[in-house]
Amino acid sequence: MLKDITMGQFFPGESLLHKMNPSLKIIATVLYIVAVFLCKSAAAFAFIFTITVLIIIVSGVPAKVILRSVRPLIFILVFTTVYNVFFTKGDTLLFSLGFVRVYREGVFNAVLIAVRILCLLVGSSVVLTYTTSPIMLTDGLETLLKPLTWIGVDVHTFAMMMSIALRFIPTLIEETDKIISAQKARGADFESGNLIRRARALIPILVPLFASSIRHAVDLATAMECRCYRGGRGRTKMTTLRPDAADWIVLLFFALLIPAAILLNVYVPFFSI
Amino acid sequence: MGKLEIRDVSYIYGKDTPFEKLALDRVNAEFCDNCITGLIGHTGCGKSTLVQLLNGLLVPTQGKVFLDGQDINAKSVNRRELRFRVGLVFQYPEYQLFEETVQADIAFGPKNMGLDSEETARRVLSALHFVGLDETLLTVSPFDLSGGQKRRVAIAGVMAMQPEVLILDEPAAGLDPIGREEILGGIKSYQRARNSSVIIVSHSMEDMARYSDNIVVMSHGTVTAQGTCRDIFSNHELLTDAGLSIPQVTAFLAALRKNGIDVSKDIFTVDDAVKEIRSYMLRERNRA
Repeated sequence: MLKDITMGQFFPGESLLHKMNPSLKIIATVLYIVAVFLCKSAAAFAFIFTITVLIIIVSGVPAKVILRSVRPLIFILVFTTVYNVFFTKGDTLLFSLGFVRVYREGVFNAVLIAVRILCLLVGSSVVLTYTTSPIMLTDGLETLLKPLTWIGVDVHTFAMMMSIALRFIPTLIEETDKIISAQKARGADFESGNLIRRARALIPILVPLFASSIRHAVDLATAMECRCYRGGRGRTKMTTLRPDAADWIVLLFFALLIPAAILLNVYVPFFSI
Repeated sequence: MGKLEIRDVSYIYGKDTPFEKLALDRVNAEFCDNCITGLIGHTGCGKSTLVQLLNGLLVPTQGKVFLDGQDINAKSVNRRELRFRVGLVFQYPEYQLFEETVQADIAFGPKNMGLDSEETARRVLSALHFVGLDETLLTVSPFDLSGGQKRRVAIAGVMAMQPEVLILDEPAAGLDPIGREEILGGIKSYQRARNSSVIIVSHSMEDMARYSDNIVVMSHGTVTAQGTCRDIFSNHELLTDAGLSIPQVTAFLAALRKNGIDVSKDIFTVDDAVKEIRSYMLRERNRA
């Protein structure tokens, strides 16, 4: 069941986004997120939705993978939609049922916010995590955060910790699966009982998992020390990444999303939230 | 008590995904009642998948698993109760310990069965005895034990459920020779005392020749042979085809035979080999 976790997984490929310089890609993702949040009118949302679909097509990540990553979001989407439909007050009453009043504004809000959440999560994971290997991602982050070293932040160590954490996600998922099976074999019951009982039932999984992550950490630290790892000082990179013209153009494209969204808000302001 | 049987069982990992992998391909096997079956095969041949099918953790994509003639995946069978009847010890079980004391960890299974504390305590003690641990360890945290001791506690945890069939996936992996002997010896004495069925997954021909009564040989997702130790270990070709070898001592005696020393070829343990070579020497002396 844990195998279904796909959000934030790298999907190898050869697309424009895959080849983009990771530092610029992180900036592009931030620009994209800002643009999504700036959308206010239906036209702006339609625009950003189209752009998101376009990005997905360019990235070459199969639609099946994208849809699977949306599945865990369904609860949040349904929840916010219902919330917005029933609890937004407006001018045009569509219908009322007892104390529940549904306004036209509520329905618009619900749809637009659902689109916003969807674009936000799918778009940013396609731009960033699906098309960037964890190593590239931390590399990009390290470059971007480099200025912080001047105020005493150990950026290299931070980046190293990030990449190690990412590296161990699949290992720990596999281990969790194994531990669950083993405790099931001893009659552990995760599916019945009330909330407290179910939470207690997790102890036989969490304790061994915790113990094994500490074990992994200690082993890895020893292995790194054996290979003379001493932290970031004086450490050079095997490959230094330099953005080329194409990278800057893609970044410009993302930067232009922001004025586009604002212009659409202003000039096509129908159904704004 | 407790006879497992599998008929035409196939298992596919990640069915209907791009990562689909056929792990077992129409496997048929029988695991003997009241005795120890050794399940041997090269790495990745599907042994570990097979054992998880035997207690219902995995459901076969196709085919059926029977316990005492009953289909274990039938709707009428309670999964959880089935797992108390077919106990499974995973590979490296020491990483599954979680309780504060050894006593509590071994008692986890019996408690889940709903046994009272008296019966639980009795079973914990008896399981502890079989794996050769001292009673003074009962109050110790399992995380303070050595690797070998942790392994024993984990095995005791499943033994304490007193399943009809006890399955162990590589119980002796990564242990030194003395540790191997003690664990496998403990399992054997448990089996003899409880009169239950035991299935041991192993890589080691030597261990299996010594401790098991029957052997099931797996290769590339299928069972290629099953029979008594004698049947299997005297068939050199069969084992080589499965990516395995005959026990070293059998190979040694075969080499002796090649050099004109007339010893039996059906010897699979060192003890028997010593006897055989002794009797050969006596025979030779008498002739001279």
